Amino acid sequence: MKRPVTRRAVLGALGAASLAGCTELGTGGARVDGRPTTSGGTGGTSPPTVTDHLPLPMEPSSLRSEAVSGGPPKDGIPSIDDPSFISAGEASNWLDPGDPVFGLVTDGGAKAYPQSILVLHEICNDVVDGQPVSVTYCPLTGTAMGFERGETTFGVSGRLVNNNLIMYDRATETWWPQVLATAIPGPWNDSYTTRSLEEFRLVWTTWKRWSNRHPETEVLSRDTGFAKNYERDPYGSYNPRRGYYRPGSSPMFTSFSDDDRLEEKTVVIGTRTPEGAAAFEKDTLRAQGLVAGELGGEPILAVHDPALDTGYVYRNPEGRQFEHRDGQVVDASGTAHRPAALPLERTLAFDAMWFAWSGFYPETNLYASD
Amino acid sequence: MPATDPTPAVTGDEGALAGTAAALRAAAGRWDSSAVFLLATVGYLVVYLATVGDLALFGSGGALTVRVADDLSRALTGLGFFRFGAIAVVTVGPVTYLLSPLNLLLALFLAGLVGANVALTYLGLIQPRACGLESSTGILAGLPALLSGAACCGPTILLVVGIQASATLVTGFQLLVPVAVAMLVASLLLVGRQVDPALL
Repeated sequence: MKRPVTRRAVLGALGAASLAGCTELGTGGARVDGRPTTSGGTGGTSPPTVTDHLPLPMEPSSLRSEAVSGGPPKDGIPSIDDPSFISAGEASNWLDPGDPVFGLVTDGGAKAYPQSILVLHEICNDVVDGQPVSVTYCPLTGTAMGFERGETTFGVSGRLVNNNLIMYDRATETWWPQVLATAIPGPWNDSYTTRSLEEFRLVWTTWKRWSNRHPETEVLSRDTGFAKNYERDPYGSYNPRRGYYRPGSSPMFTSFSDDDRLEEKTVVIGTRTPEGAAAFEKDTLRAQGLVAGELGGEPILAVHDPALDTGYVYRNPEGRQFEHRDGQVVDASGTAHRPAALPLERTLAFDAMWFAWSGFYPETNLYASD
Repeated sequence: MPATDPTPAVTGDEGALAGTAAALRAAAGRWDSSAVFLLATVGYLVVYLATVGDLALFGSGGALTVRVADDLSRALTGLGFFRFGAIAVVTVGPVTYLLSPLNLLLALFLAGLVGANVALTYLGLIQPRACGLESSTGILAGLPALLSGAACCGPTILLVVGIQASATLVTGFQLLVPVAVAMLVASLLLVGRQVDPALL
């Protein structure tokens, strides 16, 4: 049963999120990157969108013509629409400590979505803290992203653009490429308006790191209602990294990118706003702890979180100085902050394979060691 | 009134069909060719189900478990490349099998054709008169279907051989199973007419 999201609930969540300062799920103006939102998009049941749309690499109509079939038809890859969750202890029976999970922290607690499950579904339509959300994962671009979905659900169209999953919302059948998070015209709905989804951060980390940080976490159950073999990743393995995920391997389909500053499968932490895009090589960020950069002409700061081996990106307009010390980030006054909670405005950032990021954001800044 | 031939004339196609049918009957009547048929059929069935992802050696090693899908109509859902949804996961020991009735039917059909080809090839080889190299085409004809194994997005075989997919290539993959069936049937007719049951 779908639960309606009232304005009061949204405002309540906004207040709670602001106070907590550590949850990822924002709503109605409480987005992690502070972008204002609209309610409901163009139709009553279409997913919620934001006022300013994200940058696109080409005209929306061109994106449509670049879309290719990955093989399976619409919903041939079935989204999980009725997820169930188990305890960390139960999940440890089949999750290896090194297996990747996509973590989400909200006021209601922590949830982990194992990559081994989402690789066969790509979308999990869930309800978190009363809010309908979609947790999405594209194996071919190595991107895990969260979206608010309103009263509708997202499904897998079976088409790819720049190797990236094209989702569709089941209310209007509009196409939404996952990384772009922006509507493009498609065969099932040509009358789109360019608008971007409300997003929230998922943390790509390992089961060991996530369960250490959040021992009470819930974990998406393999009891999805589908007959799938969750022991088998058709593309390869992240634990250890091999097959399609192996550094030096090629994308499945031709990518938009001809940027060879990094190898195609190198993982970057990317952030993009209507003003521009920036990417931080994950290995570089891991080694240096803090990396300064620029986004749309404004200073930004990327911070590594060694506990989860992930990165966060903040706007840093005043060029404030920080120092990484014992897993915490210390400001000029000596105050220590968790990497996820610096006293700066955080932008939404996520892991991506370099070919995918540079293909979608060819003007991106890149911060990587030589 | 002209005299009529009591034996009806047959066309080349009919001759091939009749010859193949006779050869298959002969093969079914012998224990050695029946064993060859069975071995080839089961072998191909296992390999085909593994390449399409329905059969794997990734089980937890426990006792027999069966998990049935909530929605049995998934059995009719096309997953592309002549692949269909599974309705149950059967795990026993290290073996995990996704029961997809339509995949299994298709696999049995292809495996039966391969088995028949191999059995007739065997008979062609052991009969006193050599029947030529084309007998081996029956085995090769089964290969295209093995390449049709598809992942969620794109054919997995391309990962193995390191070829980048394209829209054209993906479209081509959809033809692999029909091509395999056509080749197997043609090969069966070819090899069937070269086996003379009278010589066995």
